[in-house]
Amino acid sequence: MDNNTFIKMYGEYLRDESRLVGNAESIVFPKSEAEIISSVKEMSRKNIQITTQGARTGLAASAVPYKGHIINLSKMNKVTGARYDEKMDRFFITVQPGVLLSELRKYISNKSFNANDWDEQSVNALKYMEKNQWFYSTDPTETSASMGGIASCNASGAKSYRYGSARDHITGLRVVLADGDVLDIKRGQYIAGGDSKFRLVTEGGREIKGQLPKYKMPDVKKNTSGYYNMPEMDMIDLFIGSDGTLGIISEIEVELNKAQKADWGATIFMPDEDKSVDLVRAIRHEITVDNINLKLNPSAIEFFSHNALCMLREQQKTNAAFSNIQEIKESYHTAVYIEVESDSDDVVWTEIEKLGDVINGLGGDEDDSWVAYNPANLEKLHYFRHACPECVNMQIDNIKKTDSRITKLGTDMSVPDNKLKAAMKMYNEGIGENHLTAVIFGHIGNNHLHVNIIPQNMYEYEKGKSLFLIWAEKIAAMGGAVSAEHGVGKLKVPFLKKMYNEEELNEMRKLKKLFDPAQIFNRGTIFEFEEDGK
Amino acid sequence: MANIDIIKDKCVGCKRCAGACPFGAIEIVEKKATIKDTCTLCGSCVESCKFDAINFERDQVAEKIDLSEYKGIWVFAEQRYGRLKTVSLELLGKAKELSAVLNVSVTAILLGNGIHNLADKLIAYGADEVLVMDEDGLNDFNDHIYGEAIIDLIKEYKPEIVLVGATSKGRSLAPHISSALKTGLTADCTELSIDLESKLLVQTRPAFGGNLMAEIICPDNRPQMSTVRPKVFKPLEPDYNRKGKITKICKRPVEGLVKLVGNIDNAEGVGLSDAEIIVSVGRGMGSAKNIRLAKELADVLGGALGSSRPVVDMGWMPYSQQVGQTGKTVAPKIYIACGISGAIQHLAGLADIDTIVAINQDPDAPIFKVADYGIVGDVNEILPAVIEKIKQAKIT
Amino acid sequence: MRIIVCIKQVPGTNEVKIDTATNTIIRENVPAIINPFDTYAIEEAVRIKERAGAEVFGLSMGIPAASEMLKEAISLGIDKGVLMTDRKFAGADTLATSYALSRGIEKIGEYDLIICGKQATDGDTAQVGPSLARTLGIAYATDISKIIEIKSNKMCCLKITDDGYEEIEINLPALITVVKEINMPGLPSIKSMKKAKNSKIEILTFEDINADEDRLGLKGSPTQVRKTFVPVHEANNEMIEGTLEEKTEKLSDILLKLRTEVK
Repeated sequence: MDNNTFIKMYGEYLRDESRLVGNAESIVFPKSEAEIISSVKEMSRKNIQITTQGARTGLAASAVPYKGHIINLSKMNKVTGARYDEKMDRFFITVQPGVLLSELRKYISNKSFNANDWDEQSVNALKYMEKNQWFYSTDPTETSASMGGIASCNASGAKSYRYGSARDHITGLRVVLADGDVLDIKRGQYIAGGDSKFRLVTEGGREIKGQLPKYKMPDVKKNTSGYYNMPEMDMIDLFIGSDGTLGIISEIEVELNKAQKADWGATIFMPDEDKSVDLVRAIRHEITVDNINLKLNPSAIEFFSHNALCMLREQQKTNAAFSNIQEIKESYHTAVYIEVESDSDDVVWTEIEKLGDVINGLGGDEDDSWVAYNPANLEKLHYFRHACPECVNMQIDNIKKTDSRITKLGTDMSVPDNKLKAAMKMYNEGIGENHLTAVIFGHIGNNHLHVNIIPQNMYEYEKGKSLFLIWAEKIAAMGGAVSAEHGVGKLKVPFLKKMYNEEELNEMRKLKKLFDPAQIFNRGTIFEFEEDGK
Repeated sequence: MANIDIIKDKCVGCKRCAGACPFGAIEIVEKKATIKDTCTLCGSCVESCKFDAINFERDQVAEKIDLSEYKGIWVFAEQRYGRLKTVSLELLGKAKELSAVLNVSVTAILLGNGIHNLADKLIAYGADEVLVMDEDGLNDFNDHIYGEAIIDLIKEYKPEIVLVGATSKGRSLAPHISSALKTGLTADCTELSIDLESKLLVQTRPAFGGNLMAEIICPDNRPQMSTVRPKVFKPLEPDYNRKGKITKICKRPVEGLVKLVGNIDNAEGVGLSDAEIIVSVGRGMGSAKNIRLAKELADVLGGALGSSRPVVDMGWMPYSQQVGQTGKTVAPKIYIACGISGAIQHLAGLADIDTIVAINQDPDAPIFKVADYGIVGDVNEILPAVIEKIKQAKIT
Repeated sequence: MRIIVCIKQVPGTNEVKIDTATNTIIRENVPAIINPFDTYAIEEAVRIKERAGAEVFGLSMGIPAASEMLKEAISLGIDKGVLMTDRKFAGADTLATSYALSRGIEKIGEYDLIICGKQATDGDTAQVGPSLARTLGIAYATDISKIIEIKSNKMCCLKITDDGYEEIEINLPALITVVKEINMPGLPSIKSMKKAKNSKIEILTFEDINADEDRLGLKGSPTQVRKTFVPVHEANNEMIEGTLEEKTEKLSDILLKLRTEVK
């Protein structure tokens, strides 16, 4: 069909949450791995590039096609099996890439799956689900994200402080390669040697041999900036966070965690930003306050800057949608939010009591806190947490009415523990010097803060963008990651260049070409497309 | 004191009683039922036992009143500034039906200022007698003033049954009266009938948010009082040729303890109570701004917009538009549930609706079990298309 | 000023699963919580305390474990918790409950205001508030959505009715029942939770109050449950299938048809 008709019918598939709009000539919605393979083979033959899409909730434009063919996996939305390791008491679920996070969570919490097509082992495994309440711990904020997307960008969320990111819970992948062959990789199956050499074998019997790059990844907990690379790494980790550039993930096996009975949350308001950071450091055992032996082991530590609270406070006054949030007192300056899970409420309370003493010791007031220990109240705290980005989005929507070119500007960078204060200082100075309106919130536990600039006009928008590039360079110099959880995609290609030099990027290119020689998959993602021979 | 225990010899451990207990107060230990501390003596388990293994001793009431002195069915005729509430007419219809079984008369109690003329309408709708108190001091509804007047009248006339519409005023007034008379009151009855053997009023109402229905009786106290929501019962066809007795009560109303400073009437909420078509929104709408789609559908159908509780809790809709057990009483003929997952309790507060249409993305949503027509899909995709089609159809 | 908040402990959820084989309810172990409407009552009392200074009592009638719930109420800002607990109180309907509470209130002593939640989620009758007020012989108003002003002997409030709102002036001492519109209940802080954990709840048994045994518990309850049953909902259960286009077409037809039947 002609392009106009294509855009009319499939226009929504030319964009994702990054708001970038692309173009394409064709699209398929495979329902099985075989259909993926058939489409890939056809495109490879015709030398037409492919963009892979999950739920298109990505923020870095990986799913935005620039030309060519789209393979959209939303119809591959089945949970296909389960596995229980009785000896180790570990539970695994196998999913197709189009399963949404929200769907997976529902199936798991209801312990109810459509197991009609499951094999016997899987059906038996379900019995072990009855014994405990399990959950899938990777928790990106956007719950309509697809499992394929989560694997491709090594997603993570608030709970990654305790549970890690997507790669820490992926134990198996099936990847369709550019020639239609399939790589079936289990964790532990292919480990790179001490000499950095690795060897994989496809289902078709083809050997893929290569050498790990020499670049070092930053020493941060949250990183999805370019290809994973560690000495003697498990090769499955190469594909996790590869942003769809090495092949199309057609199946994922994830490991679940056991849910614990006690589930608490607390929002703590501190009198200034420094004290908030100190509170975080005290929880992380980097400092001790008044000799208190705090053994709190939160699953998440989040932060809300002063501006974020002010913005919420303003919105509370006028907008009924925020009426479900408790009054944010004028005296509350910044906020730290923690979530703690444990087998016993008493254990958690003992630590929260100590936390109160730590807060007082740091110059805060333990009365300036909101504590939740049952699901209904925890939901209130979650609501507060989500209100922040919601608020930013609403303001951007308003500003868009005056200039539709303006979009939200948000950073996604993380630094090592000892650089947290420096990074925050850098953000505050940059915002202040350029007189920009911005709020900062995010996963402070992993030193991963989202700086959201709310540009009032195009000038501020451009200023913001250039500021991000400056920050990317400084963050990289601090040993941080320019993309912590969103993935490099297309939008952050310039940022990646601040982290890795041309030689290192060429190492990544070489790795990609090992798996995708004609560069069929997701061109323009992670690095710019360069024709061969350049 | 009342006592309940399990006759161990008769108990076979079938667990029916444990299942019937709304408080989880029965445990099966070594194949025998045991009643825990948390028992509230509600008696629900006794019915469920097929082996007569539950011994439930109610106490004898200390003083037994002479029940035979109490005769007749009364209906509180609620009016506001000269307009009768339709629920009162509906209750007159039901009272007439009950009175036929008991062979007694139906009396309407009418209080207000300048409302004497409403008595004829009450007779046309089934009252055999109307007791009227028409005074300046009764111009505005007042719990205490109206309540004390009615208490005195009940003490004097001794009706065996008193029915009050479960409007916001009725629900506030009825317990004032029942507690003064130390008698039983059953709220929000969905069914009323006379037990032929005992001649007692059997009052059916939802409990536990509608997950359970309970039949209540008030055997030893009089009058037996019930409140009933609007549109649960149907009024009789009015017969203005009916004859009835109108009695003017001359009694000085008592001093009020609450003063009405002003009325702030709100059309939106009123529209909802009377609406025959309601489009209702649930969390499945996705966001506050999508609710305008439901409003548009309501508008093209000539209906009203309502909301489930979670949506009001989230601030997307005002409380005045909440429908359901803790919200507005509504009784539409058509109820279109958009993005409502619909556990039974959502529908519990709604009277029997003729037709329920449900749109929800989740094929397993409980609302599909109670819906007459169901569509699985995204409301935000379905509504615009439906609105468009209806608009087109209306034009042609 | 002294305020008494009446608090009821109710099951955490009304959601029960029905065992379709025996048509009985399967009650899962749901934790007991403060009746949601009562959280608004507690919050309102605490706000009055913060604004104008007041001593706030929480009064509950229930099983011994309800003292934990009263401690939770203390963590939400009330000053003292009083629990009426005795086998003699059990099985009470709204009349007997109101009577018992009135005796507990007499034990507490003088008060200016009693605040109740509009209704409890397990009974949903909304009767105890007005009954209690009548038993105490004080002024009352239900469905209060805003307290406008508290003067020495009167209180100005906004009340929600079927027709909209009424502004009323109520003589003190008074009892009000409150609706959700009135405020947004807060969560406890670490400090208030510490205070609550260290607090002691005053227990009142039958011996401690001055009450007529015949008016308490099951004995004092004129209403009785004769039978309970699981409601059966009869519905057409027709699912509209097809593509998006087909579904919307069919639904529009059905709605138009229904509409003509109604109008």
